[in-house]
Amino acid sequence: MTARGALRLLGGLLMALFAAFAFTPLADVMHRAVVGPPPPLEPARAIVVLGAGMVGPQLSDASLRRALHGVVLFRQGRGPLLVMLGGPGDGATAEANVRIRLAREMGVPPEALVADMRGRTTREESRVSWELLAPRAARKILLVTGREHMPRASALFRQAGFEVVPAPVDELPAGAVRPQDRLALARGLLRELVARAYNRVAGYL
Amino acid sequence: MESAFILGVVTLSSAAAAMLFMRGRPRRRFASAIGKALETVGIAAVFLFLNLGLGFCLALLARAVGVGFVSLYVNDDVTIVILSVLQALVFQWWREPEER
Repeated sequence: MTARGALRLLGGLLMALFAAFAFTPLADVMHRAVVGPPPPLEPARAIVVLGAGMVGPQLSDASLRRALHGVVLFRQGRGPLLVMLGGPGDGATAEANVRIRLAREMGVPPEALVADMRGRTTREESRVSWELLAPRAARKILLVTGREHMPRASALFRQAGFEVVPAPVDELPAGAVRPQDRLALARGLLRELVARAYNRVAGYL
Repeated sequence: MESAFILGVVTLSSAAAAMLFMRGRPRRRFASAIGKALETVGIAAVFLFLNLGLGFCLALLARAVGVGFVSLYVNDDVTIVILSVLQALVFQWWREPEER
């Protein structure tokens, strides 16, 4: 096959994939296979909310969803300690500090709040969390992160020493019918699958 | 419903453009145009893979040599796709024989 033929074949395959992801429920089917059903929630010694980044001085959409879910879990009495993670990103304001302010304004008492901005990756966050929580005998944690991110994050936190109870947050538009939402779901899944592959190759998982 | 609507709009605009501007042109030119479009998509994909691979490696290199922490998620930016398409278009036109 000539180079031109190979490029046309590659282009055709990509257009077929684009059509399948945008105009059929393929991304949803993949999502169900990758994510699985959420396990039941159990009380834990701490609620750990993973970072999801800032957009300028504001929490990103995913960060806000995770922070709110952490606050809801705390107010439901699922854990006595709420740990907010997240570094400064490109700006000067640390994500963890913005989340702590939000949690306080939503009625979480200051003595129940812990902020840490050192973790820049999920693996670093698992280690930082262990440093924070092991001295407090908080081995069993409710882990708050995106539903797609949860399997990788849970594995890394278990490696750090935690007993993990997943408390996932919906961040991707699963079940959507608009083509652009289906593409966003496919993109999010692909990003997570690449991240899992990288973690396996690097020996982290 | 949304999918059918969008596909319907695109089909209608394509049919209108073909009727208004392409009447009388040989059908083989249409097949050739489809082939060239797919070729451009293929070139864009190659550029996209190159850009993502290079970005991934550079982010890891920056971490390794201590230049600073570069998140791997920086490669998830949608502008990389748009710029890859632009690279493909330029490359494709550059490869074409020059018009006389």
